[in-house]
Amino acid sequence: MVEAGQIALTVVMGVLLVAVATFLSRYEDWRSYSPLASGGSGYVGEGSGQAHHSEKPAGIVRWLTTVDHKDIGILYGAFGLFAFAWGGIAVLLMRAELATATSQIIGANFYNALMTTHGITMLFLFGTPILAAFGNYFVPLLIGADDMAFPRINAIAFWLLPPAAVLIWAGFPLATLTGGDISAAETSWTMYTPLSVEQMNPGVDLMLLGLHLSGVSATMGAINFIATIFSERGESVDWANLDIFSWTMLTQSGIILFSFPLLGSALVMLLLDRNLGTTFFAVDGGGALLWQHLFWFFGHPEVYILVLPPMGLVSLILPRFSGRKLFGFKFVVYSTLAIGVLSFGVWAHHMFSTGIDPRIRASFMAVSLAIAVPSAVKTFNWITTMWNGRIRLVAPMLFCIGFVQNFIIGGVTGVFLASVPVDLVLHDTYYVVGHFHFIVMGAIAMAGFAGIYYWFPLYTGRMYQKTLAKWHFWLSMIGSNATFIAMLILGYGGMPRRYATYLPEFANMHLIATAGAFIMGFGQLIFVWNIVTSWLEGPKVQSGDPWDLEDVGMKTKEWAWFERKRDTAITVTDGGEEVATDGGEADSADADRDET
Amino acid sequence: MDEQPGLSDEYRKASPWPVFVAFGLAIFEVGIVWPLFPVAVGGLLLFVGSIVGILRESGYVANPWNGLVTASVLCLVVGAVITLTTTGSVHLRGLAVLVGGVVVLAAGVFGSLFESTHA
Ligand code: HEM
Ligand SMILES: [Cu+2]
Repeated sequence: MVEAGQIALTVVMGVLLVAVATFLSRYEDWRSYSPLASGGSGYVGEGSGQAHHSEKPAGIVRWLTTVDHKDIGILYGAFGLFAFAWGGIAVLLMRAELATATSQIIGANFYNALMTTHGITMLFLFGTPILAAFGNYFVPLLIGADDMAFPRINAIAFWLLPPAAVLIWAGFPLATLTGGDISAAETSWTMYTPLSVEQMNPGVDLMLLGLHLSGVSATMGAINFIATIFSERGESVDWANLDIFSWTMLTQSGIILFSFPLLGSALVMLLLDRNLGTTFFAVDGGGALLWQHLFWFFGHPEVYILVLPPMGLVSLILPRFSGRKLFGFKFVVYSTLAIGVLSFGVWAHHMFSTGIDPRIRASFMAVSLAIAVPSAVKTFNWITTMWNGRIRLVAPMLFCIGFVQNFIIGGVTGVFLASVPVDLVLHDTYYVVGHFHFIVMGAIAMAGFAGIYYWFPLYTGRMYQKTLAKWHFWLSMIGSNATFIAMLILGYGGMPRRYATYLPEFANMHLIATAGAFIMGFGQLIFVWNIVTSWLEGPKVQSGDPWDLEDVGMKTKEWAWFERKRDTAITVTDGGEEVATDGGEADSADADRDET
Repeated sequence: MDEQPGLSDEYRKASPWPVFVAFGLAIFEVGIVWPLFPVAVGGLLLFVGSIVGILRESGYVANPWNGLVTASVLCLVVGAVITLTTTGSVHLRGLAVLVGGVVVLAAGVFGSLFESTHA
C-alpha cells in the first residue's frame, strides 16, 4: 500500500515536471520577440477600456507570466479579496454558532479550526497581501518609477501566496478526504506551545509551512519596496516631497524586514519540535514561554505592518475630499517612523499575565503607553485636516472617516489594555477581541475599501455605483460597531475568548454581535456585486481626473499618469496607426487576446 | 505622446519563471517536512531548474547548463552531509536532496553535451 502510494506520487511528480518543461519550451518559442523593437504598440481592448501592450502574452498566460507591477497589484488584490471571503465565511459560521449559548450548529473542534483559519487568513492572506496590492500598483506611479526595482522577484513574491493559501486551508478538504487522519489546525493564530507541539495532526504542519511561505513572500515584497522607494524615484521626487502613502509603505517594509524572518525561524523551530524531536519549546529545553516571546516579537510589529499603510491611505485620500492639505504632514511622517521603531519595544504587553518579572512588565507598559502618542498625533492631524474643510462625502471619504472613528475606539481600548492592572482583568476576554477588531476590521479594512473606491476609476477606467457604495459603507460601519461594541461589553462581563459555548448570562450581547456580523456580511455582498458589475459595465470615466482634484490643487502623480494613459489610448485607436503586429503575434495564443 | 505610460522599456513584461520558482519551493518544502521522497525530489528539481532559468533570463548566468551544474554541487554537498550524518527519517530527507542533486547534475552535463554537438 505504502509502496503503491510512493509510485503513484513519483508518477504524478514526473508528469508535472514534463508538463512544465513542455510549457516552458513552447513559451520560449512564441515569446521570441524583442520588446524594444516592437515599438510598444498598444490598443484599447473592447471590454476593459484599458490599453493592452503587445509585449504581454494574451489570456490566462498573461496573468501567469506577468512581471508588470500593475498586473501584480491586481493579482494581489484579487487574491486578498478571495482570502477575505474565505475568512469572512469562516467567521460567519462561528458567529452563527455563537448566536446561542449551547453548541447547536458546529462542534467545538470545528469551531476551533474555523477560528484558527479565520485569524491566520485575515492577517496573512488578506491583510498583508491587500496592502501589497495597493503598494505594487501605486507606489511606482506615485514616485514616478517605471516599475518595481525587481519585477521578477515581485512576481515570485506574489506566486508564493497561492501555494501558501492552499497549505493553510488544506486541512479542511483533507479532513473529509482522509476521514480525519489529517484535519485543520486548531492552534489559534498565536500557535502557543505546548498546545501546538502536542497536536499531532499533520494538518498543523501544513499550516505552518503555508505560513512560512507567506512570510517569505512578505519579506521578498518588502525588500522590493525598500529598493524601489530608495532607488527608483523619478527626478522630481525627493525625500521632502515623497507622498505619505509611500512613506508608510517604506516604514512597513522596514518592519517586515526585521520581523517576518524571525517568524520564519520560529516556525521552523516549531516544525522541528513537532517532527524531529528537538526541544526548543519543551519544558526541559527553551520552555513554552520562549515561543511567546518569539511570536510576539514578530506579532506586535505585525499589527503595525497591517495598520501603517492604511494610515497612509487615509492620510492620502482624506485631504483630497476635505479640500485642504494634510495638516502637519511632517509630523505624520515622523509619527510613522516613530511607530516603526517603537513597535519593536512593546511585545511583552501580550504576556502581562504569564508571570514575567514585574519590572519587565512595567517597562513594557511604559513603551506601550508611549506608542499611543504618535498614533494620537495622526488622529488629531486627520481631524484637523477636516476641520473647516470643504468636505465631499463620496464613498472613499466616508470610509476614511469611518477609519478615524473606529481607530479611535480601537486605539483607546488598546491604551487601557497596555496598563498592567487593567490587562490582568481583561486579558483573554472578549474585550481584547473587541479592541483588535475595531482596528483590523473597523479601521484597516475600511481604509482598504477607501482605496479600492478612490482608485477604482484609475484601474478600471469606469466608475462604481455610488448608491451601492454608500450602502456598503453604512452596513459595514453599523455592523462593525454593533459587533465590536458588544464584544467590549462582553469582555467587561468576563466572557473569555476562544470558546464555542458560553454561560446563558452572555446570550444577549452575543446575539447582538452575531446580528452585527451578518449585517457586515451583507454589506460585503453588496460590495462584491458593485465591484464586479461596475468593472464590467459601469459608466466610463470622462476625464483623467474623475475626482476633480485639479480644482483643489491636489492632483497626485498617479492621476497624471492615468491622464497620459487615456490620451495615449485615444490617439492610438483614433489613428489606428500603431496597431502593428510583432514577431510574437502570429500565434494561436493571440486568439483570445481581445477578451482579456 | 508617451507610448507606454508607466511601463518600463528595460524589462520584458512577462517571464514564465516566477510561478515555477514559487511552486517549486512550496512543493519541495512539503516533501521535506512530511517526508514524501518523490515530492521532495520533484519540488527540488522544479525549484532549482526555475532558479537557473530565471537567472539566465535576467542575464546573471550566461550558460544555463553550467548554472545547473553549479546548483547541483550545492545540492550534492548539503544532501551528502545530511545523508551521512543522520539516520532514520532525516537520513531519508537528506537522500532526497542528494538524489535531486544527481538529477540536476545529469541534466546539466547532458544539456551541455547536447548543445555542443548541435552547435
Ligand atoms: C494604540 C496602540 C495600541 C496599544 C497600546 C495596544 C495594546 C494592546 C494590548 C496590551 C494587547 C494585549 C491584550 C491582551 O491579550 O491581554 C493588545 C492585543 C492586540 N492588539 Fe493592540 N494595541 C494597540 C494598537 C493595535 C493595533 C494598531 C492593532 C492592529 C493593527 C492591534 C492589534 C492587536 C491584536 C491583534 C491583539 C490581540 C492579539 C491576540 O492575543 O490574539 N493593536 N493590544
Ligand atoms: Cu501588541
